[in-house]
Amino acid sequence: MADLSVRFAGLELKNPLLSASGTFGHGLEMSGFVPPAALGAWVSKTVTLEPRHGNPAPRICETEAGFLNSIGLENRGLADYEATVLASLENTDAVIFTNIGGRTPEEFAEMAARLDGYDQISAFEVNLSCPNVQGGKLPFATDPATAEATIAGVRAVTKKPIFAKLSPNVAFIGEIAKAVEAGGADGITAVNTLLGMSVDWRTRKPGLALVMGGYSGLGIKPVALRCAWNCATSVKIPIIGCGGIFTADDVLEFLVAGCSAVQIGTASFSNPALLGELPALLESRLAEAGLNSIQELIGTLRRES
Amino acid sequence: MVAPPKDACSALAELIAIEILPGDGVLITVRPSVELEPLDPNRFFMLRREDGLSPKIPRPFSIYREVAREDGPADLVFMIKVIGDGTRALANTRVGESLRLIGPLGKGWPSFTEPADETPWVFLAGGIGSAPFFMAVEAITAAADEAEASGERAPTPPPFLLYGAGTRELVYDAEAFSELDCALHVATDDGSFGFKGNVVTLLQALQAAGSIPQRVRIAACGPMPMLRAVERFASANDLECYVSLEDLMGCGVGICNGCVVETKPDGPLGAWPNAKCCVEGPAFNTNAVVL
Ligand SMILES: Cc1cc2nc3c(=O)[nH]c(=O)nc-3n(C[C@H](O)[C@H](O)[C@H](O)COP(=O)(O)OP(=O)(O)OC[C@H]3O[C@@H](n4cnc5c(N)ncnc54)[C@H](O)[C@@H]3O)c2cc1C
Ligand SMILES: Cc1cc2nc3c(=O)[nH]c(=O)nc-3n(C[C@H](O)[C@H](O)[C@H](O)COP(=O)(O)O)c2cc1C
Ligand code: FES
Repeated sequence: MADLSVRFAGLELKNPLLSASGTFGHGLEMSGFVPPAALGAWVSKTVTLEPRHGNPAPRICETEAGFLNSIGLENRGLADYEATVLASLENTDAVIFTNIGGRTPEEFAEMAARLDGYDQISAFEVNLSCPNVQGGKLPFATDPATAEATIAGVRAVTKKPIFAKLSPNVAFIGEIAKAVEAGGADGITAVNTLLGMSVDWRTRKPGLALVMGGYSGLGIKPVALRCAWNCATSVKIPIIGCGGIFTADDVLEFLVAGCSAVQIGTASFSNPALLGELPALLESRLAEAGLNSIQELIGTLRRES
Repeated sequence: MVAPPKDACSALAELIAIEILPGDGVLITVRPSVELEPLDPNRFFMLRREDGLSPKIPRPFSIYREVAREDGPADLVFMIKVIGDGTRALANTRVGESLRLIGPLGKGWPSFTEPADETPWVFLAGGIGSAPFFMAVEAITAAADEAEASGERAPTPPPFLLYGAGTRELVYDAEAFSELDCALHVATDDGSFGFKGNVVTLLQALQAAGSIPQRVRIAACGPMPMLRAVERFASANDLECYVSLEDLMGCGVGICNGCVVETKPDGPLGAWPNAKCCVEGPAFNTNAVVL
């Protein structure tokens, strides 16, 4: 049987499959659908320092080829995360990434410092790219200097691996990738949602109460793949691809484009057990191709014709 | 951190039968590939086709009926009103094709039989909102039969089912409802079937005529304007009242925070301003939520 394990940023993951933040719980709520040990790593919903009640409804809207959300990082804040979620994760063998979100670079650093001592957390994912707060201005994901400073602030307070989660809503994502690498990131998650909107012309109403939201799912796969490849070809640190991944073939495409692992978001809404079903499908794809290890595929895009 | 229900699973189910109802409704019967625990009324499932013909995000549907079988898991029947792409795709499924079935989800209705209470239940159904009441009536009948067999009093009297819709053909599967052990009263806005009016005016008329007592408990499911009218009626008369809400859902399992229901500031759901319809509902006491 082909070896699905991957190694990067000092981590050893049993497979390259991660849950995408916000689509698989704060902790291990989805264990009934996917055994915790089945995933390469579980990524938490973004935790913020203070509780956030989130945005007005409607917050979700499906479109022709994807899914719009404007959740607005609803969560109960860091203190609750420590007391309830982290406490529940004490004896798990799952690899946990905690995704953190802040309003200022200092807030990101404050959160990382407070969470650094928890052994349950294997790595931080720093959400530089939520489009549903701060009016969609994406202050941390669009300006290289701010992105670098934010990551450097987190780097200064923790030795845990840091993954910077980037936004596709920029002209040159490779530049942002270089900035977070310079800031000390151990890896990059590419990408968060695209900014999108929908309209019902008959009622004249937007699909989302705040009009704009984050666009995810099938329709963003080519954009996400391109972003991941841009990042992979711009920096030396590993890339976790994310966006529109539904099938084993999608996973392998991101690996060939240069990703060391992938995250699955919206597809878990189509089938919450998908992440647990994919390893067997990956194994059979690799066997069909005569490959012994999934690592052999990473970054093997052939550009000659 | 509200987790999905422990008995929920994500499985395939084969379409066993499909019946087109007059108007825009269809009844689909599916056979799950896994054995499910017996279902409480008003649990729901997320459903979609996996052949590319459904939207990627599944849609929520209440369990309408459960059909026990000798040699395997019970079949599940859903009653679906076709309103958009997701429901249309399900209505076009053919026998033998398979569907993604995620569930059972939600908490269902509160228990209608425990604790025992003499105050009768009035079920107010608006159009397709009748779906979660079929098994609710069956559950009350079953509890009464069980009590009778052991020489006890039924925990609650047979319920009243007031079934309203715009017009005759939107009173879905009326015949099946008429065979239940409950007093069924139909109302249509245009008077084409039963009482001319809505379920609230019908309830008032039946109470005025003495056919339904003044003290009742209410459970309602239907369009939001109807639920608001029901809530106003219940609070004006100080009646216990539950409403089952049809929120938009992304995941159905408590993860996406898409299905927000506004909570009452000092209500029983606590200080957080939002509840999740999918895991904390879909039925809520009207003292807990803002409609
Ligand atoms: C717990 C629960 C149980 C349900 N049980 C049933 C059932 O037994 N039978 C049944 O037919 N339906 C039921 N519904 C409603 C059903 O889920 C929706 O009708 C369905 O999701 C519509 O999908 P669609 O793709 O066909 O329409 P869409 O293309 O998604 O929507 C078409 C139009 O209707 C509007 N719309 C969609 N959903 C709703 C809604 N819930 N309320 C108000 N407007 C809406 C949209 O904004 C759009 O304008 C239930 C919903 C919930 C939450
Ligand atoms: C409902 C929803 C909530 C999300 N919440 C978060 C979040 O809290 N933090 C974050 O970094 N990304 C969040 N995302 C973005 C996803 O993690 C992912 O980057 C994006 O959806 C693209 O992947 P996909 O196409 O596989 O869904 C959310 C996405 C969705 C659909
Ligand atoms: S539908 Fe996703 S949280 Fe309820």
